[in-house]
Amino acid sequence: MMMKNIRKYIFAIAAAVLTFSNAFGQEADEQAAYNGETPKPTKYVEVTEQKEHLVFFQGFTLSADLYGVGAYLVSDYGWAEGALRLNLKNTYFPIIEVGYGKVKKLDDNTQIEYKAQAPYARIGFDMNMLKNKFQDNRLYVGFRYGMSKFKYDMSGPAMTDPIWGGSAAFNIKDIDCTSQWGEFVFGAEVRIWRNFHMGWSVRYKMEFSSTKSDYAKPSCIPGYGYTTTSSNWGGTYNLIFDLNWGKKKSHKRGVSVEIRDINDSPVEQTDNKESEGSEELEEEEITE
Amino acid sequence: MILSVASALILTGCYSNNCPLENVVLCNYKFLDAAGNPIQYTGSLTVSTLMPGYKTVYIYRKLGNVTVTKDRQDSTYIEQGYTETIAQHRNDTILLNNKSGASSISIPMSYFNGADTLVFAYSNISLRDTIKIQHDSYPHVELPECGTYRYHTLKSVAATDASIDHIEIANPYVNYEGQTNINIYFNGIVGGEE
Repeated sequence: MMMKNIRKYIFAIAAAVLTFSNAFGQEADEQAAYNGETPKPTKYVEVTEQKEHLVFFQGFTLSADLYGVGAYLVSDYGWAEGALRLNLKNTYFPIIEVGYGKVKKLDDNTQIEYKAQAPYARIGFDMNMLKNKFQDNRLYVGFRYGMSKFKYDMSGPAMTDPIWGGSAAFNIKDIDCTSQWGEFVFGAEVRIWRNFHMGWSVRYKMEFSSTKSDYAKPSCIPGYGYTTTSSNWGGTYNLIFDLNWGKKKSHKRGVSVEIRDINDSPVEQTDNKESEGSEELEEEEITE
Repeated sequence: MILSVASALILTGCYSNNCPLENVVLCNYKFLDAAGNPIQYTGSLTVSTLMPGYKTVYIYRKLGNVTVTKDRQDSTYIEQGYTETIAQHRNDTILLNNKSGASSISIPMSYFNGADTLVFAYSNISLRDTIKIQHDSYPHVELPECGTYRYHTLKSVAATDASIDHIEIANPYVNYEGQTNINIYFNGIVGGEE
């Protein structure tokens, strides 16, 4: 009972001392403000880092290949192709390319004609190699996996048996074939007007497989090109429409906010040192 | 621009095609003894094929000289004192003429016939063997710029037994890749008693 009373007294005395000190400090600040002086801050906010980051999903990109249409007009093989591309952080671009290829070629020397027309598809990935991801121009590398299931026709002049005799032409139609290939892509694109970009790509293509037939090997695969050698070069010239409305969606991230005591501030300390130094000078001047 | 032109020139300069250099389609026969050991035929071998129809031949004879048979008339033999005889012979064709020391042979196949008949004539025995090969033939285009080849698929083979023990298909696909298509097993065993 005695100890309980002693604790009560100690608590009451401590509370009275704290209340008095706070009231005294507050009264001092109020007095300073009344006198026209600015109250000195005791805390400051330190921001250590503040960078702008692109949000993950930046929108879609639609593109059409103009080179394939031009090739169709001036050569034996051409194609119409469009692509849908996702824009992730303006850096990674998963892409699906779908097209329709058509070839009709007559070899002048052998008089053998090859005909095929079929859709094809490619799936792949591009990566923007430019350091500044906020700009609208892109330089990219990527790869594709392509596939086409098609039928082709092959016809040729009469063959003559040199020993047993006889002669017959051949005309084989609808030879089934499924081809698969891979592509390494290097390309660039620039913004030309608003959300429209133009770009080109160079592609190194490798044929993985094609269905074998007794009669022939496909001379040209829609979407891949001629199979004269096991690898092939190709290219595209694209008109691209960016569906991210020309704005890079970004937000500030990585901001570190810390409330620190004013005495810990290096700036404040410098100020203090300067003020201390000036006081010393003043003292020296007074001494002199 | 300069880079594009240079690239185009380089790519054009590197153009090549995959047309095969060894592109003669032949059916390849391998010679084996009755036990399946590879052998070399020590004598000479002539292979001819039976052809339908007959042809006119000109035979030139002179005492003490080898008789000469020609498909066309040759007046130089008459000037040398040969006598000329006109005859009708079978329209057969020699596909392999006196090949000696052979361990394998390559013979062409017909483009449009369902079966080929080959006659094997040996230098060391008077009897002959006849081989009948049934096959399918079809055109094959590797690349249009390479032209058309005639491939064959063997269906069956049969042979007489004058010097041949038995015969079998080793690979039915006849193309220009050079693999053995037919094994011919001759009578006897190398180093054996038979």
